[in-house]
Amino acid sequence: MPYVIGAECIDVNDMSCVEECPVDCIYEGDRKLYINPKECIDCGACEPVCPVEAITQDRRVSDDNEPHVADNRRFFVEILPGRDAPLGSPGGASKVGKVGVDTELVAG
Amino acid sequence: MTATETLPPQTAVASGGAVEVDLLVVGAGPAGLYAAYYAGFRGLRTAIVDSLPEPGGQVTALYPEKMVYDVAGFPGIKGRDLVAGLVEQAARFDPVYLLGERAEHLTNEAGHRPRAGDRLVVTTDKGTRVSTGAVVITGGIGTFTPRPLPGGAEWEGRGLTYVVKELAAHAGQDVVIVGGGDSAVDWALALDGLAASVTLVHRRRHFRAHAASVADMEKGATVLVTDAQVDSLEGGLMDGVKRLHTVHVKHKDGAVTSHRANSVIAALGFTADIGPLETWGIDIVDRKIMVDTAMRTSVAGVYSAGDITEYAGKVRLIAVGFGEAATAVNNAATYLDPDQPLFPGHSSDDPAGIGAAATA
Repeated sequence: MPYVIGAECIDVNDMSCVEECPVDCIYEGDRKLYINPKECIDCGACEPVCPVEAITQDRRVSDDNEPHVADNRRFFVEILPGRDAPLGSPGGASKVGKVGVDTELVAG
Repeated sequence: MTATETLPPQTAVASGGAVEVDLLVVGAGPAGLYAAYYAGFRGLRTAIVDSLPEPGGQVTALYPEKMVYDVAGFPGIKGRDLVAGLVEQAARFDPVYLLGERAEHLTNEAGHRPRAGDRLVVTTDKGTRVSTGAVVITGGIGTFTPRPLPGGAEWEGRGLTYVVKELAAHAGQDVVIVGGGDSAVDWALALDGLAASVTLVHRRRHFRAHAASVADMEKGATVLVTDAQVDSLEGGLMDGVKRLHTVHVKHKDGAVTSHRANSVIAALGFTADIGPLETWGIDIVDRKIMVDTAMRTSVAGVYSAGDITEYAGKVRLIAVGFGEAATAVNNAATYLDPDQPLFPGHSSDDPAGIGAAATA
């Protein structure tokens, strides 16, 4: 029951949500940010600070953003281009730094 | 008003002291406060430790003003009111509060890894030593720590700080505050007029703080530097001591400006990490403590409850945390004294609802 970042974030990467997240679970791809569904505690602190309103709870996403529910998860469980293992649950985006690649859906 | 101002915890112990109890609760969020109540009801002498300076855990730190609608018996209750009620409920049994102290190490009395039946010793980062028969960990998402200012590490204690301990310490100083939330704006308001100058650096144009506070700040003398981030800190020797004197700020358009600063206060929010608990020898998977149906962890005498626990079918809600806290404490009570029944009796059996504490 995590929060999810939708398509509005693509090529915006404002990062205000990253500053707000108390568990540091928002990771930076290349064109977009992704919330780690295993690390998100559903507190909602990120939602109001997003300047493009890209963030919603997974159970309330718009039809257009429905694919991003699975896609946020995919960023962590699938092997991203140029990596040899899935990101998994590193327990903090600041430990990982900018990942620099996106899921297939976002990379386009 | 905070929960602690509403009803101050009854007993506080000076840091660095020694405390001897039957049960130590680690984490003063909703589950921990309720555990402290239940431990009192069972007649156990109880201490409760938390790294935050006030009780309430995540509720106090993240959403004191949020309405909660799913606590049994309350059609709707504000976060801070729920915390105040829990503190009041536990206060009947006078638990010892160790606030602003982080539980660091778990050993037995001899300083070794504890075995079943050993008395347990938990020491805090402030040097307080708690000797206890059992432990209930209600650590939620872990210890809150301020989010570090990038590039700030070498200036901590030399002009960079993450919390304002005493406003007076900044009297007559040039102060730069970093951040756009309530803490940043509240500190700017408090220091305006007391400090020689106050500059607020925020990476966006808009502030997340309460609109009324932002309006007050805009009326004052605080210099607002928005759409900008701290680029680097610079200092030098002053009376033989290395001290910060300048903050370089990079603006969105690439320009860099320099600001005089005796102090930089970074208010960039908090992150949580279960930190020291990972060294306690407890079975932890993905930062969650594995428990059985009695809320036992893998270490004898150590129980857990609330958001930090994990088991098949776990639902992370305050409502569930309360139930787990009662299960953990009652099972801990039988661990401490196997002659005691698991079932505590009904709080309504006694007119005052004080349970075993009446005869303790």
